[in-house]
Amino acid sequence: MAAIIWILVAVAGASGWSMLALHRGETVNAAWLVLAAVCSYLIAYRFYSRFLANTVARLDDRRITPAHRLANGRDYVPTSRWVLFGHHFAAIAGAGPLVGPVLAAQFGYLPGTIWIVVGVILGGAVQDFVILAGSVRRDGKSLGQMAKEEIGPVTGMLAMVAILAIMVILLAVLALIVVKALAESPWGVFTILCTIPIALGVGFWMKVIRPGKTLEATAGGVILLLFALVAGRWVAASPTLAPVFTLSATTISWGLMGYGFVASVLPVWMLLAPRDYLSTFIKIGTIAALALGIMLTLPTLRLPAITRFIDGTGPVFAGKLFPFCFITIACGAISGFHSLVSSGTTPKMLDRESDARVIGYGAMLMESFVAVMAICAASILDPGVYFAMNAPIALLGGNADSAVQAVQHWGFTLAPGQMAAVARSMGETTLLGRTGGAPTLAVGMAQIFSGAFGTSLTALWYHFAIMFEALFILTSIDAGTRVGRFMIQELGGHLWQPLGRTSSYPSTILASALIVAAWGWFLIQGVTDPLGGINSLWPLFGIANQLLAAVALSVGTTLIIRAHRARYAWVTLLPLSWLLAITSTAAWQKMFAADPHLGFLAHAAETAANIASGTLGAAKGARFIFNDRIDALLCGVFLVITWAVVVTSARVWLQGVRAPAIAAAAEGVA
Amino acid sequence: MHVAVGTANGLIRRAMTLVKRVSGMPNYDAYLEHLRVHHPECPVPSEREYFDDYLKGRYGGGFSRCC
Repeated sequence: MAAIIWILVAVAGASGWSMLALHRGETVNAAWLVLAAVCSYLIAYRFYSRFLANTVARLDDRRITPAHRLANGRDYVPTSRWVLFGHHFAAIAGAGPLVGPVLAAQFGYLPGTIWIVVGVILGGAVQDFVILAGSVRRDGKSLGQMAKEEIGPVTGMLAMVAILAIMVILLAVLALIVVKALAESPWGVFTILCTIPIALGVGFWMKVIRPGKTLEATAGGVILLLFALVAGRWVAASPTLAPVFTLSATTISWGLMGYGFVASVLPVWMLLAPRDYLSTFIKIGTIAALALGIMLTLPTLRLPAITRFIDGTGPVFAGKLFPFCFITIACGAISGFHSLVSSGTTPKMLDRESDARVIGYGAMLMESFVAVMAICAASILDPGVYFAMNAPIALLGGNADSAVQAVQHWGFTLAPGQMAAVARSMGETTLLGRTGGAPTLAVGMAQIFSGAFGTSLTALWYHFAIMFEALFILTSIDAGTRVGRFMIQELGGHLWQPLGRTSSYPSTILASALIVAAWGWFLIQGVTDPLGGINSLWPLFGIANQLLAAVALSVGTTLIIRAHRARYAWVTLLPLSWLLAITSTAAWQKMFAADPHLGFLAHAAETAANIASGTLGAAKGARFIFNDRIDALLCGVFLVITWAVVVTSARVWLQGVRAPAIAAAAEGVA
Repeated sequence: MHVAVGTANGLIRRAMTLVKRVSGMPNYDAYLEHLRVHHPECPVPSEREYFDDYLKGRYGGGFSRCC
């Protein structure tokens, strides 16, 4: 009986994939995409994750988990399986899986979808699971600690530097997405500004007025957020208030930096904790609503399966399908950042070892499904609208007519006045060149929700989607700035001891200023970039994130080999070699490609030529050249660190294979 | 009648606990229960003390939210 059900699932999945792959020239319904993905997940979970759990990790419920052994009622708390699933999912799901697939839709929906599904099954979910299982057997130790103890102190240090560098790029690119979504949008700016006093109010309520009553405070906060969303429409329509909240990209960038600094120095109860609760509520609610909306409306995909831009000439970002489709999708298929959560709060809450299967592997499948929904939302848009929103202004020209011509030149149609109509229906003045993915996703979500629940609220849905993304990006910014601050204090403490005092005010302020200056520098670079910033920063972020995944998979391989299961090490070595191939190729091309849209150094050379011929001011040009060189240097640093981690790990692997007795890891009670 | 009200209250309470746990909120009642079972000799903190301590444990060392 069970066999028959699984055969049916396999047949359904196969028919989904063949509908996607074989229906060229005709439009395909999003239902096929969802069907193909879900059936693939079911089969992977049932068979592959069982192999990982029983044979590779040998999860054993007779071992007592750290949540029980070290129970303290605070961070070590045994938590039932489905509750922890929700908690873990809320911690790993962020803006990445929503934005990456939207950008990768430049290649059409098919390449992105294949990588999201195959990548998660063989790579992303394996990484999350292996790190979770390893950390549970080591008292919930972090990735950095495991790298240090299982591989060596040098590798541990390299891993920490890599995490810090990646954090800086992540914060810059997330901030850039918010800036791109909010610039010149009074409605959006007003709503997002309101989230700050609302979070402060929630914090004040649960700290001072009714201590510990987080649930009622957060529920009140959510209601106020929705009110701020509706009020944003009045602000945007008001001739006196709208100009006050219409801010330039540069102003918003400085505002975000100031916010990140203040949030990192303030006590957690004031901003960080309430914002975390608010965004968790909104996040889970919106993702559920999006899934429901797609199921109810079953929209048609209007983007082609594959576009001509797989040759690397696309306007959204430069580079060919290989490796940039994989770099761009990043978090939806495999995300190095998850290894920090899988070796952070989650292993300290696991009730039984066997729960690691559904939480480590299963929650990542869920995240991948979010990425599939994001690619659906981008693909139901008119392709002309998609490219007019996602190409930088420099390529579109400054006005609606030049944009129509540019889009036609790329081989898609855009009617004159079409973009103005879309912008009006979303309650915005213009949507041309709104790069960064968030606005595109918001238009797609607004269309889906309007299809499901009526068109009278389209503009409200658009701004709800923008608020939803900006809210949890801001949460990432304050959490990330704080984490970065602790890391600078810890690393800096090795160099100069007073910097390491995390409770000292001067040290805190100095370290916070350093981390904000670091990501703020990249943010300003992105905002002033003539090609729109996303073109240079998103690939850097993608490379960084995939490289962190490579570090995590190296640690995972070490854990497997040191547990005497070297013959199963291919489960992590397979995705690791693929990641090394794509990230090394991508980093190399970003540094040295001859195309100035793609290679940082080629762009610097082109800028120098423009200065020499007098078409570009010397001061401005010198700044662009400096930015390009820093970006190229950063790519090189990422590449060197990752290969150093892999090579030092490989020595431990060889040792483990040759003399297993010496290298045997102390699994179990450490 | 009484039974029905009791069940409804229990359901609401259980739903609230579920929401608290999924969103990583502090849970004072559960902590009291943990103290009662594992450390009956320890002094019981007030809800305010527990809340401060909880936030320190959860966010003090920095925490990760994903991209």
